[in-house]
Amino acid sequence: MSVIAIFSGIFCSADAVVRDVMDSTGYRMITDDQIIAKAAETSGMPENKVQRAFSAKTSVFNKFTHEKECSIACLRLALATELEKGPAVVHGFSSLLIPQSVSHMLRVCIIAETPYRIEQAAVVQGLAEKDALKQIRTQDVDNAAWTETLFSAKDPWDINLYDMVLPMNRVNVAKAGALIEENLIKDAVRRTNASIQAEKDFVLAATAEMALCRAGHDVSVTAENGAVVLTINKQVLMLTRLEEELKTITGTIPGVRSVNTQIGKDFHRTHIYRKHSFEVPSRVLLVDDEREFVQTLSERLELREMGSAVAYDGESALTLVAEDDPEVMIIDLKMPGIDGMEILKQVKTTRPEIEVIVLTGHGSEADRKQCMQLGAFAYMQKPVDIDELSETLKKAHEKIQRFKP
Amino acid sequence: MSKRNAILASATRLFSRNGFQGTGMAELSTITGAATGTIFHHFKNKEDLFLQVLNDVKESILDQFDRHQQTRRDQKGIERVEGVIAFYLNLAGSMEDQFLILHRHYPYQMAKTNPVCRSHLESIYTCLLDIFEEGIQKGIQDGSVAVEAPRQTAMVLFAMVDGIVRLNTYRVYDAGTLYDSLMVACRRLLKGGR
Repeated sequence: MSVIAIFSGIFCSADAVVRDVMDSTGYRMITDDQIIAKAAETSGMPENKVQRAFSAKTSVFNKFTHEKECSIACLRLALATELEKGPAVVHGFSSLLIPQSVSHMLRVCIIAETPYRIEQAAVVQGLAEKDALKQIRTQDVDNAAWTETLFSAKDPWDINLYDMVLPMNRVNVAKAGALIEENLIKDAVRRTNASIQAEKDFVLAATAEMALCRAGHDVSVTAENGAVVLTINKQVLMLTRLEEELKTITGTIPGVRSVNTQIGKDFHRTHIYRKHSFEVPSRVLLVDDEREFVQTLSERLELREMGSAVAYDGESALTLVAEDDPEVMIIDLKMPGIDGMEILKQVKTTRPEIEVIVLTGHGSEADRKQCMQLGAFAYMQKPVDIDELSETLKKAHEKIQRFKP
Repeated sequence: MSKRNAILASATRLFSRNGFQGTGMAELSTITGAATGTIFHHFKNKEDLFLQVLNDVKESILDQFDRHQQTRRDQKGIERVEGVIAFYLNLAGSMEDQFLILHRHYPYQMAKTNPVCRSHLESIYTCLLDIFEEGIQKGIQDGSVAVEAPRQTAMVLFAMVDGIVRLNTYRVYDAGTLYDSLMVACRRLLKGGR
């Protein structure tokens, strides 16, 4: 009686394999949605915020709020509690949250070569190649961000992260299911006293992590037989004091036998930020009702490592501003409904820290003046030179970085 | 004053005014009248000299607070904290060079790689925060202070007071004019929002 942890790429027939495995083993399924719902319930955080942990896009305010770390902590706790109920197939991002010490777990990766995925996208959802590729790319970026967050592994399909990797372009669904079942009865994934203890320790570590996160701390937590080890990654001068506080918080959790702190490898590094947060803006919101134009622009920015979101009208743009914390916006002036000028006005009033670049096809000198007066960062004419636009985006990003508290 | 102490005193002044990079042994030699050889006889190198200066800063600040604390045993908690704040501001004025060293960036950069530097700084801050926390704890006992998290409050309070000192050190503003407002704010913080 074990746990099957499956992490998969989109359009790789993973759902069919999961169904096959559940049919033959009788295991119940644990999905990301269940874990998210449970995590949201216990933590009091809204579901959409918890879910954001699985996204490559981190809120620009995460440095202060630690929202991502908190979300991961409560997801871990939700999963750990769920696993205690017995054997299961865990499918999705959550599957990677189970520590390796829980050795009665078979870690499976389901992936395929791109041509197979494009074909599946056409069969399952009737997607054209271009749309399929776009979805695959978006999903893979999220997958890569997830493995990087958890294991500092940039390749989400890295064979070292799993017990078995199933290339679906070479094995069919039935064969994949059979391979999983075959490995499931091997001795290595049997439940042992040690692995059962490891499962308990998983719950304990997750509980501690959650408590520490709530108090604003960002440390990684492991537990072995009730002995908790906290790893401090952030440079702090008053280390003794920090350690005392961490120990006090953790010490009150039932089941904790001892607490030790250690210094992580990043402790002495000055910058532990990822490189993408520096030179270029990571969150650009493009607002334009000319769909074709804005899609192309988004793709071209992506090539320059700038992540962008797209809104086709003013209303959804303002919703995205409220929910998704963009750093920089690029807006067209002429749009039906709420037009560019109105968006600019509202954004600069409610969220002055967002830099707005106006990009328009038929603007007049008077428009330019008005935009700059309203606080636009730049005013540019279509057709725009992509290099010039990237340069402007970089400058906007620099300005934001400079004025960040 | 011994030669060694004379060198230390001048070095404190130079380090605080000119920073670590900007302090030269030749200049120190001119000011103190001690040959560079003599300076290097007492101190291994510039870093060692700086660590001695920092050690001095540590000892003199801690010593001052020790003496201050001795005389205030019978005060109520809140009065004690207020006394510490006033004393801190006063000390920052009378030991400006020493405080300026603490408000410079390079000691903290050095602390990342130099354990001695790190330990001096940690001792200074631990001691200062302990004094604040002690007053708060006493106040909780005698009912003059109402806060939930004494240790965290001590840190917030300290940051406020030290921030005012910085305004003065960097000549951002005449901190003396903020004294009353600071005291009102601290009192409010300590008495709780209830």
